[in-house]
Amino acid sequence: MQSNATLEYDYSIVKLYMWTAVIFGIVGMTIGVLIASQLAFPSLNYLLGEYGTFSRLRPLHTNVVIYGFTVSGIFATFYYVGQRVLKVSLAESKFLQALTKLQFGLYLIAATGLVISLGMGITASKEYAQMEWPLDALIVVIWVIWGIVMFGLIGLRREKTLYISMWYYIATFLGVAMLYLFNNAEVPTIFFSGGLGAWYHSVSMYAGTNDALVQWWWGHNAVAFVFTVPIIAMIYYYLPKESGQAVYSYKLSLLSFWGLMFIYLWAGSHHLLWSTVPDWMQTMGSVFSVVLILPSWGSAINMLLTMKGEWNQLTENPLIKFMVLASTFYMLSTLEGPIQAVKSVNAIAHFTDWIPGHVHDGVLGWVAFMIMSGIMHMSPRVFKREIYSKSLLESQFWIQTIGVVLYFTSMWIAGITQGMMWRAVDEYGNLVYSFIDTVSVLHPYYTIRAVGGLLYLTGVFMFAFNVFKTATAGRRLEQEPRYRSPMA
Amino acid sequence: MTSVEIEQLRVYLYVIGAGVVTVIFYYYIIYLYRSEKKGEKDYEKYGKLALDDELDSEILEKNPKLENDKKE
Amino acid sequence: MFHWLEKNPFFFAVGVFVVIAYAGVIEILPNFAEKARPVKGLKPYTVLQLAGKEVYKKDNCIACHSQLIRPFKSETDRYGHYSLSGEYAYDRPFLWGSKRTGPDLHRVGNYRTPDWHANHMWNPKSVVPDSIMPAYKHQFTNVADLETAYAEAVTVKKVFGTPYGPDIAPGKAAYEKELKTKILPEALKIAKRMKRDDLVKMVEAGKVPEVVALVAYLEKLK
Repeated sequence: MQSNATLEYDYSIVKLYMWTAVIFGIVGMTIGVLIASQLAFPSLNYLLGEYGTFSRLRPLHTNVVIYGFTVSGIFATFYYVGQRVLKVSLAESKFLQALTKLQFGLYLIAATGLVISLGMGITASKEYAQMEWPLDALIVVIWVIWGIVMFGLIGLRREKTLYISMWYYIATFLGVAMLYLFNNAEVPTIFFSGGLGAWYHSVSMYAGTNDALVQWWWGHNAVAFVFTVPIIAMIYYYLPKESGQAVYSYKLSLLSFWGLMFIYLWAGSHHLLWSTVPDWMQTMGSVFSVVLILPSWGSAINMLLTMKGEWNQLTENPLIKFMVLASTFYMLSTLEGPIQAVKSVNAIAHFTDWIPGHVHDGVLGWVAFMIMSGIMHMSPRVFKREIYSKSLLESQFWIQTIGVVLYFTSMWIAGITQGMMWRAVDEYGNLVYSFIDTVSVLHPYYTIRAVGGLLYLTGVFMFAFNVFKTATAGRRLEQEPRYRSPMA
Repeated sequence: MTSVEIEQLRVYLYVIGAGVVTVIFYYYIIYLYRSEKKGEKDYEKYGKLALDDELDSEILEKNPKLENDKKE
Repeated sequence: MFHWLEKNPFFFAVGVFVVIAYAGVIEILPNFAEKARPVKGLKPYTVLQLAGKEVYKKDNCIACHSQLIRPFKSETDRYGHYSLSGEYAYDRPFLWGSKRTGPDLHRVGNYRTPDWHANHMWNPKSVVPDSIMPAYKHQFTNVADLETAYAEAVTVKKVFGTPYGPDIAPGKAAYEKELKTKILPEALKIAKRMKRDDLVKMVEAGKVPEVVALVAYLEKLK
């Protein structure tokens, strides 16, 4: 970079991933609002012919928000936080710098392939692992490059100790790598059939119950290592930095880390309660799910206590609002999850709308809030400009919070209503409701959910506009802000 | 091995594994707090890593491998 | 020991990996030691049914329909006998689903007929007035990819030993033969039971519409 001037952190790759996070956020959540509306108003299924039905769009929604929005957010924040807590600039190694650019290029190709193939209905059909084998292979390459850069930076670091955020990023890297490889083990059919059929088609290495077990070991832990672990990495950096307060208890953060690492992985079988997997494993899934509350709350409470004596910042700084609410939602959904994992509750909740409700108070309230506040915190630093509008950020916060609340309350009611109606029997033991009765009754809740989603999406557009204006029209900053992000 | 034996082995491994990890975990808690009480370690200072993260910020503990070739 | 681990990123990473992999080793690996045992009398999917399973995946029925009947009276009353592990022995991937926006389909072949499915897929409201399921009219004109389904049958036979007869063999010639002698006649039967002339005509012309394959698959779910 600069030859004679002082060395600076290299944010070029951070900016690229920030933009993809913003774009995929908009795309993924727009599809989300569309499919939520389709459940309330089925005629919306016919906007795009074969390609616009709820069923075809739903994996597109989940995959774009996971692999597009969230993974972009993880990469953007890692390349920012990683450089800073290790005190090493990417510009110091041309090799690592080039690798990040290569990774971004491959990432764009994979993302495009993902959208096209899922839109066409080319799918391996395992949830959150729908991509067929050529894309899976590409994802592995992207992930390996990330690992090389991560450990490359660690090798060059000036600071001997790895900050807790780095622990979580390392765990993200390892966890996803292991889970992804195992769950996506598949056999391409073209190599065994003498060149017959579609080249991208494959069959799963596992059959039936085994496949289900591996899938939910993945499904559950992908949530751990994509929606929880890296997001905790973010909050351990951004909240202290934005507030100027060191983590309340560093020791507690270390303990929560190991607790989470060990316990989370055991809880996966709670997705398969009352199914055909062995009984003792189901019970273990339930028990560990409950124990999991401890490390989760350890992190969340640690974050809230970090603000001790500085609660005035909550009213003054909208970014602090976002982050404090995010850790609160984290507490909510890590309490809700174990409740659903209790076998008797699960008997009612499984297969109902309570499950998407639970997922969304986590992802909307915790994951997306954290990623957005991370991007907002980085904006003034990477663009060297003041945040464009504080009032926009404030209104975004309130609109989205209302959106999330509408979303999960309506889905709680919908889920429990439907679960109870499925099992309702009259005095002679006959089922009271036909299946369609239990669908019709949900219409108002589906409508409320769609409205909630629309509010949240509105907030995302406000956020995107704010980032865009910050990058192009914010007041220029002479000096990098130390703690609190300046905003107009 | 028959499936029954595998099933048994797996339960044993599970109980032993969970036990070992729990012991290590509690030992870790004790270690963290005791080493701080004795004044050997100050874990809380690492919280500052997030706050003083400029390239020219003071380095808490230098990475020994880089002491020679990289100086601020 | 702990402090050393915290400052050696490589061994730290190994430590994390051991901790997170432990659960997997115990929960998952032993299951591979024993193959999934099919229940007695379970036949592998025919090529037409496999093609139907591909349609089921392509239009992603799994988004709203489960294939897992849990052992509760309310479920067995509604859908039939609860699901057994061995019934899924040939399901690659498994299609249990995780959400019942629509009813469970694991035994749908017991209580729905091909012509009911034909009407339902064409316009769900014609048979269930309050249905929120979209119509899948494109399945009546799109042609099912039988060759890929055949390739899948060959693959699972070779790699996993799924018990298919000697006719299921690699290569174009074997496929053409299977198509003429087995797949098309089976499709024609289904198309006739669906009571739609356009479908019958398409099959007679050697092209199997997606919906015919799909119904063949749904008929197998019993």
